Amino acid sequence: MHLRDLIQPRLDWLDVPSSRRVAQVSLMAVAGLAVYGFTVGYWRDPVMGLYVAVKLPLLIGLTLACNGLLNGLLGLLLGTGLGFRQSLLALLSSFALAAVILGSLAPVTFLLAWNAPRPDAANAESAHASYLVMHTFLIGFAGITANIHLHRLLAVKAPTPAAATATLLAWLGGNGFLGAQFSWILRPFFGTPKLEVQFLREDPLRGNFYQTVWRSIEHITGGNGLPAVIIIVLLLVLPITQAILLNHRTTHKP
Amino acid sequence: MNPPVAQPPPLEAPLPETLDLKSLFEALLRRPQATACGGKPRCYRPLRPDGVSFNIAVRFCPWVLCQARPALGSSGEDHVGIVALRGDLFPEPLHFSTLAGARVGISQLAACFVGALALAGLLLLGFAPAVWIFAESTDSLGFMGTLAVGAWIIAVLFALRFLKSVVFATGGTQKGPLFIWSVVFFLVTLQMTTSLRPILGRSDVLLTQEKKFFLQHWADTFGTSLKQTAVAAAPTVPAVESTSEEGARNPYVR
Repeated sequence: MHLRDLIQPRLDWLDVPSSRRVAQVSLMAVAGLAVYGFTVGYWRDPVMGLYVAVKLPLLIGLTLACNGLLNGLLGLLLGTGLGFRQSLLALLSSFALAAVILGSLAPVTFLLAWNAPRPDAANAESAHASYLVMHTFLIGFAGITANIHLHRLLAVKAPTPAAATATLLAWLGGNGFLGAQFSWILRPFFGTPKLEVQFLREDPLRGNFYQTVWRSIEHITGGNGLPAVIIIVLLLVLPITQAILLNHRTTHKP
Repeated sequence: MNPPVAQPPPLEAPLPETLDLKSLFEALLRRPQATACGGKPRCYRPLRPDGVSFNIAVRFCPWVLCQARPALGSSGEDHVGIVALRGDLFPEPLHFSTLAGARVGISQLAACFVGALALAGLLLLGFAPAVWIFAESTDSLGFMGTLAVGAWIIAVLFALRFLKSVVFATGGTQKGPLFIWSVVFFLVTLQMTTSLRPILGRSDVLLTQEKKFFLQHWADTFGTSLKQTAVAAAPTVPAVESTSEEGARNPYVR
């Protein structure tokens, strides 16, 4: 399989979800994420880079494995007509594309990590903060691009654009919700300068991503966390709902 | 990617009278009407008890038990059987479907009813790994309750959609009665989360005799954690005067 097949898939890409194709796409995802992951952890320590090179593919693998049944069911129920293997291939293709994008940016991020102030430097805190922002931006860019790609894949198979959009949002919601918790369990990724280099923190299953975020919001807003969360949810949900309503068509494609 | 090519919708063959489990799953997920009408686009007479609907009713009964899985994951206790009993609480579906205009018999409706429950059970089975991950990571009953009820709401919405498609495939034209019945059913299932408690957490009793409205129960327990309930449930030693001859202090008398 060529890289072009992944980036510009043919219309029948999802029609043949053979084990060979799934394995090839998985390999691309693992390779891209591992290379990028190494550059993420490298700034803190080369050993940390190796850890993140393992953990980043693991994060995606665990999320897809745990949500595999749910993704397949939602793919069928929301009307795209995709079976379980097709759903898996579609999601893997999307993650593999994100991984390829991030992998292609790995030389840049590696050089940035190489030239950034060292973790034991006086200005390590600000370097760590800017490092976080930069990688968040890059991961966000790759994620958006991959999801647009996934929507195109779904739109080819789905009878209506609304079905493709609904399936994409359901997958995004489910995988994002669980993926955030797995990222919490598998922390650290960037490596806080003051904390030691570890593969996993002590007692990784202790604590919950959402409760931690909730406590932070409560702390920032001085105990007014609920109104803040409602505003954040509305800001996220309203544009998505509007996009769905604008795209909603009840008739089949010609 | 090239623009999608117009494809006519595939013709769906009627379901055979005898189906294996895989075909039944596929019919349930892809073609809900077919499970009621044997593959015909619309039908106005009940199928024979040995037909497809009956086949589904018999074969999917065990899958209803799948509903218990998320509860098992979230509580880690032995209240599985109670949760599965929720399925017995559909109030008067025949009357409401008849009011909606459906020409459906009891056996056919029972088959579709079990099919809807099986669908909800399958979805809950899909949610189970995610719920288990969070169950391992948090002690908050409020968080786990929200997660479990959220999964239940999504599963029931798909089950109700399944029933709606069956009612309309069997001649139903009115949405009102079905909507009212759905709201009643939904409220009953939410009340069952309180009436059949304890469902989350640890407890020595199988059922509690205390009567409570579910919103009040949720409000009372939302902020509590598993550790608090464990401490509260721990056997307390009666505070008695120390009778030790050495004058040692009873640690429970303070």
